[in-house]
Amino acid sequence: MTRPLVFAIAALVVLAAVPWMGSDVLLQFGINALLLAVLAQGWNIIGGFCGYASFGNSTFYGLGSYGVAIAMVQWDLPFAVGLAFGVVLAVMFALMLGVPVLRLKGHYFAIATLALALVMTAIVSNIGIAGQNIGLVMPPLNNDALFYEMALALLAAATGTVLWLSRSRFGFGLIAIRENEEAAAVMGVNTTLYKVTAFTLSGVFSALAGGIHAYWITFLDPDSAVNISLNVKMSIMAVFGGPGTVLGPVVGAFVLSGVFEVLASKLTTVAGIFFGVVVVAAVILMPRGLADLFYRFRTSGWRYFAENIRAYRL
Amino acid sequence: MSVILEAVALTRRFAGLVAVDAVSFGLNAGEILGVIGPNGAGKTTLVSLISGTLAPTSGDVLFEGRSMLNLSPYQRGRLGIGRTFQIMKPFPGLSVLDNVAIGALFGHGGSGRGLAEARELARTQLDFVGLGAVADRRADELGGPGRKRLELAKALATQPKALLCDEVMAGLNLVEIDEVIDIIRRVRDSGVSVLVIEHVIKAIRSLSDRLLVLHHGEKIAEGTPEAVLADSRVVEAYLGRRRA
Amino acid sequence: MDLLAQVLVNGILLGGLYAIMAQGLALVWGVLNIVNLAHGAFIMLGAYLSWHLYQYLGIDPFLGLPITAVVMFAVGYAVQRGLLNLVVRAPMFNTLLMTFGLEVVLTYLAQFAFSADFRTINPPYAGSNVALGPVVVPMARLMAFGAALALSIGMWLFLLHSRLGRAIRATAQNLVAARLYGVEPRHLYAMTFGIGIGIAGAAGGLYGTISQINPYIGGALTAKSFAISIIGGLDNPLGVVVGGLILGIIESLALLYVGATFGDVASFGVLVAVLIARPNGLLGRTA
Repeated sequence: MTRPLVFAIAALVVLAAVPWMGSDVLLQFGINALLLAVLAQGWNIIGGFCGYASFGNSTFYGLGSYGVAIAMVQWDLPFAVGLAFGVVLAVMFALMLGVPVLRLKGHYFAIATLALALVMTAIVSNIGIAGQNIGLVMPPLNNDALFYEMALALLAAATGTVLWLSRSRFGFGLIAIRENEEAAAVMGVNTTLYKVTAFTLSGVFSALAGGIHAYWITFLDPDSAVNISLNVKMSIMAVFGGPGTVLGPVVGAFVLSGVFEVLASKLTTVAGIFFGVVVVAAVILMPRGLADLFYRFRTSGWRYFAENIRAYRL
Repeated sequence: MSVILEAVALTRRFAGLVAVDAVSFGLNAGEILGVIGPNGAGKTTLVSLISGTLAPTSGDVLFEGRSMLNLSPYQRGRLGIGRTFQIMKPFPGLSVLDNVAIGALFGHGGSGRGLAEARELARTQLDFVGLGAVADRRADELGGPGRKRLELAKALATQPKALLCDEVMAGLNLVEIDEVIDIIRRVRDSGVSVLVIEHVIKAIRSLSDRLLVLHHGEKIAEGTPEAVLADSRVVEAYLGRRRA
Repeated sequence: MDLLAQVLVNGILLGGLYAIMAQGLALVWGVLNIVNLAHGAFIMLGAYLSWHLYQYLGIDPFLGLPITAVVMFAVGYAVQRGLLNLVVRAPMFNTLLMTFGLEVVLTYLAQFAFSADFRTINPPYAGSNVALGPVVVPMARLMAFGAALALSIGMWLFLLHSRLGRAIRATAQNLVAARLYGVEPRHLYAMTFGIGIGIAGAAGGLYGTISQINPYIGGALTAKSFAISIIGGLDNPLGVVVGGLILGIIESLALLYVGATFGDVASFGVLVAVLIARPNGLLGRTA
């Protein structure tokens, strides 16, 4: 118990020191990677632990972004209030739409959340207060180090929450819902309450990430705020790293962000093809993510991959 | 003799098919009530109505005198109605121990219980049904008979007052059936009222205090095993009408 | 009033094409429980194939449809047999991820091979207009609609009456029971996916005659096919036709009265409403 804790604190300290160690480019990469890790961790709560693969967390991200933007630009409120406003919006949204949408299962749930995200994009493109298609411009704050530390703190909070989940009654209930919802229900788990809570919690983290990101890049328009591809990114990172684990999504986010960065600087087309091939191969060879790969590779060695294929093939 | 669980004119219709037709009966406290009937008689539907997984088209379920009409499955579970599923529903990715611990955490006895305590209780339940040795294996590694016992252990961990067993002996050999009969008797002796749905007539005859027979969704007989099994309507339901 | 009629007819013609685009997705989803995120990319490939057949071999896009369909069928069969079959029994999300990876590969391959230029398939008769009463319709759209409808009905008949079609439908209900039809599951899965992709390819060929092709059209087409499949239900090709028509009409109306972005809002709003009210689709039975 103490060894991993020491390791975690050490990692945190190292990460916190990055603004003074690396270049500006590294810092910007770091902020993006950290925010993506927060999104992946948030997705982990509803998708990894609870088993409801959401494709709509970008909606909460957008609500957080616009919460900050509207509060700061239209009403002249400070950033913290904007963040809180974004969170309030996200919570309201999650509670209102969570209940009907969480009645759907599997693919249908994923698609319904995706549809919500798309509707959200269309709505903000057409509302005056959100700046419509032109967007909003916030007062600039040129302090990347500050944004970096904020993102890091948020990631620590998110990871801490997931750690708590992995040991708590609530988290256990989510896992039971994931493994067999009907059995969980007759055994006394209040599935509706638990699902909506998980959904809301994941939305809150997404909203906070969106708010920080919005203030950092200073400019907000519908495409950057409610970015649908974020949904795919965050879920891939969480699944690649290990859904339902504590550190999996973080590792997945960092690794894949790094891969994206390296590839983006090379030939884009080849990079794209390579990325797609990697995803396909990963799904075949390590369907339970990097975390599982680390644990099992020690015992099974190279047979791990063959075992996975044998377990899941038709 | 007090009635702990009561079905009152319970009916369930599925778009033209009446699966359960105005069935009324009572489960007495501390008894083992067997429910038999040919395939398609509506037995599992009846259990689903009682546990809350299905809503009745009409009629009601009373538990300890209280109507269950608007209570969802998890609420009924917390009040003390436990059930096993005929098509088993384990938590495949969890260990056998944790499968049962969920019941100890969330079930009737569960509020305020911590994870460690729940796991300890789960071990007791696993020993009770004879799965103690495999507690740390993954649930999906168990074979058929093991899974049936796991279903029982999961339900028992919720510390029910009334337990509904849906075909827990299906697919077991004679030795395993005897073991399950013993488990159910011990469950009853610990103070739980049990309703047992079964196909294996021999087993249920020796196990039950009373028998209930369903046919085409209707209750056609209720009484002691000897009386019920000698009833001509029951024989007819299973074997068909004797030609003159 | 005439304008409304024109818009409605446009919507219907568009809807028919949308429907055939969605058929393959609905089939694969309903039978194999695979949500194919690369579906639109296969449509795109079919479009490019038809374009090349026309451009270099002079084969009319409508007459050459069978060729496109067969080639794409082979591609689909290979993909299922070689890749998707490997992860079919994993958690649902994994097949989603795999098809996502495929989508990326196919899109970038297309970008690499065909460049990002826009193309269309323009047989000489395509430009002429046909008058149906007060409404004027481009010949290509009318022919595409006809072909799309014919394909949809053909698929419906195939699923209902042919031996393979019934085996496929049986698989949707119960994989083990389907073995009783004497078809090996891996082969059956691959055949089903192949048919889905073959139809998608054909739809692409039709799409190329009425709209512009580029490597990136896949995403939007996949999204529309989703919406239609859900609205129409997964187990009934006629339901998909209805869903396609509904979407086509709504889009045309929204375009006329409210503007482009709200066309999308309308479609997806309808989708969410249908999902919540009738999770099995307007005409569907199984999920």
